Amino acid sequence: MADNPVHISSSVFRVLLRLGFFPWFARLVFGQKIAAVMGLTWKAAFRFRLFIVVAVLLLAAVVGLPILLKDDGTARGFTQILLTYTLTTITALLGLSTLWLACGTLARDIEECQMQVVATKPIARWQIWLGKWLGIMSLNAVLLALAGGSVYVLLMYRATKLPATEQHILKNEVLVARGSAKEASMDREIEVETERQLQERLQKSPVSAADVAQVRTMIRERIKSELQSLPPAMGRPWRIDLGYAKNYLAGRPLYLRVKFNSAEKSPSGTFGVLLQAGEPQKSKNLWATREPLSLAPDTFHEIEIPADLFNEEGILTIVAFNPNNTTLLFPLDEGMEVLYRESDFGVNYLRGLGIIFCWMALLATLGLSAASFLSFPVAAFCSLAFLLMGLSTGTLSSAVQDGTVMGYDEESNQAGSSVVDVVAIPFFKLALKVINLAKDFSPVEALSTGRSITWAELARAGVQIILLMGGIMGAFGIWAFTRRELAVAQNQS
Amino acid sequence: MTAVESTKPASAAPASSEVVVSVRGLTKVFKDFWGRPKARAVNDVDFDVKRGEVFGLLGPNGSGKSTTVKMLLGLLNPTKGHIEVFGQSPRHVKTKARIGYLPEESYLYRYLNSRETLDFFGNLFELDKGERNNRAEQLLEMVGLNQTRTRAVGEFSKGMQRRIGLAQALINDPDLVILDEPTSGLDPIGCREIKDLILALARRGKTVILSSHLLSDVEDVCDRVVIYYGGKVQALGTLQELLAKPDTLRITTPVLPRETMERVLATIRKDAGAAEVRVDNPTQNLESYFLEVVEKAKQAAQQTSGAQSGARVAAYLRGDAETKPSTEKVLEKLTLPQATAPISTPVAEAKPSVNEQKLDALTKSEPATTPTKPSQATEEKAADLSKADEKLSSLLGGKK
Repeated sequence: MADNPVHISSSVFRVLLRLGFFPWFARLVFGQKIAAVMGLTWKAAFRFRLFIVVAVLLLAAVVGLPILLKDDGTARGFTQILLTYTLTTITALLGLSTLWLACGTLARDIEECQMQVVATKPIARWQIWLGKWLGIMSLNAVLLALAGGSVYVLLMYRATKLPATEQHILKNEVLVARGSAKEASMDREIEVETERQLQERLQKSPVSAADVAQVRTMIRERIKSELQSLPPAMGRPWRIDLGYAKNYLAGRPLYLRVKFNSAEKSPSGTFGVLLQAGEPQKSKNLWATREPLSLAPDTFHEIEIPADLFNEEGILTIVAFNPNNTTLLFPLDEGMEVLYRESDFGVNYLRGLGIIFCWMALLATLGLSAASFLSFPVAAFCSLAFLLMGLSTGTLSSAVQDGTVMGYDEESNQAGSSVVDVVAIPFFKLALKVINLAKDFSPVEALSTGRSITWAELARAGVQIILLMGGIMGAFGIWAFTRRELAVAQNQS
Repeated sequence: MTAVESTKPASAAPASSEVVVSVRGLTKVFKDFWGRPKARAVNDVDFDVKRGEVFGLLGPNGSGKSTTVKMLLGLLNPTKGHIEVFGQSPRHVKTKARIGYLPEESYLYRYLNSRETLDFFGNLFELDKGERNNRAEQLLEMVGLNQTRTRAVGEFSKGMQRRIGLAQALINDPDLVILDEPTSGLDPIGCREIKDLILALARRGKTVILSSHLLSDVEDVCDRVVIYYGGKVQALGTLQELLAKPDTLRITTPVLPRETMERVLATIRKDAGAAEVRVDNPTQNLESYFLEVVEKAKQAAQQTSGAQSGARVAAYLRGDAETKPSTEKVLEKLTLPQATAPISTPVAEAKPSVNEQKLDALTKSEPATTPTKPSQATEEKAADLSKADEKLSSLLGGKK
């Protein structure tokens, strides 16, 4: 028990807490004034029971969800429940409490006039704002560590209860950090070919200017479809560059992640697929399935292949044969992917939590910025609305794709256009770009599929989410707070 | 011995010529959501406050006192005009380090206890831990909250909240203290202590700006006042300038023998005319009387669960005076000039004639003893005081 890392770390934490290490550290790093405001945020969170309530809710989610939702006994079902659901719930709970606390800690201080006393002390307004933000983020760090740590411990404990085969899958395919390689993007080639065929077509039979775009789309889709389709009794090769990873993959097995669609249904629900990987010229470096693998369409399948099948340049050649009577479609973006072990799950898990922490930082910034110039209920409402808008970008995307917010006119078969579109579409494009800076990361999905979240990805999240988005938002919040007349608010309590 | 009363506060070290606060053409117009003028709270106000001065902002509710104070503190932006505090903008961080502010209500964190409150504000002034602890202890002692240091401020009575508010305003030993309605919600003892504190601060050369609508507060401690009405300055000057009646004089003496008294009166009547001279017993005001009763109750060791009467002014606020060794104090007493009362400016109202009956009572040959047959007025007064005594005693815990 004494050697248990969790026990040791909690003992160290307690000792540091007693010695007043954390306030000392905060003073050392951020200065006495900012540390004082941080401490105040902590005290508020504790005295108003927010910390305890959120911690209990988080732990209830971590412990309760796996009890309420039974997994199917497979390694994937197990991780789906334990990682996907719990981490998603943790993110949602922590996100909401962060928004609430961020709005409350500043707006309530202004409304209840405590800020009038604080602001007359020798502390700049930006220091008050930053102190609040750091206070919220340090609370989040502790809560996330608590909830994340509990998920990890529970995951490791419950993994031992799975059958041996599932434990093997879990160890090699899920609780790992795997890098991925795909075929080089063919977008450019598709565009070139589309343009060539379009010009040919236009020379043969000109179409009206209004229809050119539609013809171009049809040609592009046809080319893509040709590239994706695997007709009966045919093979389709993929040449996948493993890049730098070839240097450390010698002797290690790789995993093919395969997905295909079919226009027809199979009576058994599956289709046979023959796979071959390696160098066809060197029989030593060739692997192939003896019998067709029976695989269901529209689903991802992972197939372990032996080590060292790639050539000196790190190129792995894979060929799929279609022994069925119907054409199979291997999507260009996710039809064939090679996965390889990159690092341990523990470090990957930490990096995943790191990205969630970046999201929390953005939400804290959003809440504080809203509270810098709005009253508490309005700030809470606005930031929640902003969050929901950020989460549901589907409408924005389709409007941008269609080029209109008015929808298609079925009679004229044309996109409706209005003055609104002139303003709305560029705004939606910008909004999508901004929102995608934060949404461009999916740590929960990556963790539950055993994909690697690299340090570079974490750093990119820090830069995009905290520095860029949070920086702009925070700068606005601080500006608004600095200009605000704090004595206009009257104490209503 | 003839004692001559002074109406000037016993405070103040003379104010220097250094201007601490300068206000020029200050105007504040509150606007509605659409930017339309809603209320002109302060209108073209000018004044200066000098170092060491106790300066009063006086006016009825809504006259613009608090708005002025909040502009002085940078909590509101002037619509027009200019403010300088210690030669800087009031929002300048280094300037704020020299200011102590007590708002008109308890705007403190309700979840912090009094010790934590002082520690938090001490941190904002970057005081080191030892200094914070030292000052917090002295301030809690001073405001009489040393027994309730672990109780959350939210649980305090209004008076206790005022006291902790005052303590936080003084944690930095400020050069400029701005007190907005400092005595509101305080009992008479608390009021007296606040006034004593203001005078003590002024003696140390601190500048005090006091905003109040209670005339007695201002009269007791202020050197100069500005009187607001409708956002405008109606009067500005020293209390002497504003209150003195230069054509009237009051002389206070111990009880004199009847012959002496008649002789003096005859001389005075010759110059002033009989109708202009009035003789009576000076009476203490209710505040003094209340303090006396409470002092007696304290000596009888009566307990109270609320705030205790504060101790002496915190040592660091007094400077070194109270921490000097006793031998030095003796030396000080021997070497410093005794406080001699300046010539008074009479403020007593003139009465048409002398009350001969009263004069008889006053000029008895044994002035120290209580008259064996007090006059009807004295009996009535004694009865009134006895009732007041009973009432106050019951307020203080039902004991007499």
